[in-house]
Amino acid sequence: MIRRRAAVLVGLVAIFTAIGVLRAGSPPPAAVRATQHALPPPVAPAFTPGPPRPLGSTAHLTHWAPVRHTVVARTDPDAAATGAATLDATTPEGTRNLVVVLDRGVDAGGHPWVHVQLPVLPNGTTGWVPRRALGGYADVDTRLVVDVARLQATLYRDGRVLQRSPVAVGMPGWDTPLGEFYVRNRLTRYRSPMYGPVAFGTSARSPRATDWPAGGFVGIHGTDRPELVPGRVSHGCIRMRNADIVALARRMPVGTPVTIR
Amino acid sequence: MRELTLKDVDRDEALTEAVAELCGSSRAEFLRTAALGSAAMLGALATPAPASAAVSDVDILNFGLLFERLQATFYTQADELGTVASMSAAKQRWAETLGAHERAHVRIIKQVLGPRAGPRPAFDFGDANETDAAFTKTAVAMEDLTVALLTGVTPQVHDRGLTAALMGLLTVEARHAAWARNIIHETPAPQAFDEPRTLHSVRGTIARTRFVVARPKTGSHRTPGYTG
Repeated sequence: MIRRRAAVLVGLVAIFTAIGVLRAGSPPPAAVRATQHALPPPVAPAFTPGPPRPLGSTAHLTHWAPVRHTVVARTDPDAAATGAATLDATTPEGTRNLVVVLDRGVDAGGHPWVHVQLPVLPNGTTGWVPRRALGGYADVDTRLVVDVARLQATLYRDGRVLQRSPVAVGMPGWDTPLGEFYVRNRLTRYRSPMYGPVAFGTSARSPRATDWPAGGFVGIHGTDRPELVPGRVSHGCIRMRNADIVALARRMPVGTPVTIR
Repeated sequence: MRELTLKDVDRDEALTEAVAELCGSSRAEFLRTAALGSAAMLGALATPAPASAAVSDVDILNFGLLFERLQATFYTQADELGTVASMSAAKQRWAETLGAHERAHVRIIKQVLGPRAGPRPAFDFGDANETDAAFTKTAVAMEDLTVALLTGVTPQVHDRGLTAALMGLLTVEARHAAWARNIIHETPAPQAFDEPRTLHSVRGTIARTRFVVARPKTGSHRTPGYTG
């Protein structure tokens, strides 16, 4: 019995092998041959995007937004909350007013609000504004740290030092305010040598210079008295040598957070 | 299951205004309640191309770059600001993947265009990427619009290699659109045919969303009034 089964199996294998050999040797049917000849080669794409790009590190990222219209910043994300300060749409220099974004939230009706740093006295004041009062977000990965004790400013990008420069700060009685601020605007080509070639406006305000024509905002600017840098000679502003402020202007965008310590 | 409509995603009725300008107000009113991506809607949106609208491959790629930048910024901001983190795990994966794809698209199109790449515009998405609901609805509309745009402009590209590359983007964007619709339990493929849209009509729609804005004026030549 077993011998008969083995013989049948050997026979079947032989038959299938013969069929396979015959098929391999014969040409494909005409219809298949025509299709093969008609198919053009695929067109090579001019570019391929490569792998997906995951979100980069946000550790050193700061978001800011322009103020669309005058709005009351409130202590909570609620139209009925106490007003903390009024935010104007423009700065005294005629540029768009900016705020740095600290947090976001929604009110009871589900409308988005944004928690922002305010350029008002007392320094360090924050408040909530409706999202619709602000324009589109922009981001920066730079930060300027001004060390008043060492009379030195250091610009960081993505956490790495880009520039370190000596500075002059406020004289005794006109101390440069300490805290967390941000760059609001950049002025150039004005006619005032005492500010050097470039001046940055910040959100910091001198508590003592409130009667200053433009409200006593602290600037970061060049100078026509470079021999006084480093030193404690200003009315609160941060002065740099002109070569340093020009280099800073190339690297520091508006919206950059400024730590004065 | 209720279909998603233009009214659901229309920020300040900007998209409806754009459609009204392109198609007339009566059609816009109809479209407002038509299902997004439906054959009726896309068919009505298929406006004729402006006469002798000869666009170069560079024009098309630059518009593609603008659109990819818009999408990449939309997803990236939502991720950076925490909107994505507030979503369910499945939606986070979806939003992060789409963002990563759009960033890759921006990079390659910029590389291809080189010095002919247009400058990066400023964007203002308003409330559209602030909350889970607004983000999702806007993402669905943008992905549908991208598919319609690429379907419309890809055959106009002269270079065959570029056409092949854009086809590669188109199929991925179509997957994005289907994934986006699936995430919100809408029909992933609502019609049997994707009606193409002209570059002109998509440009009009984008303009009316007011997502692309002028950069805020942050510089001046006024004499500083700082404390000195």
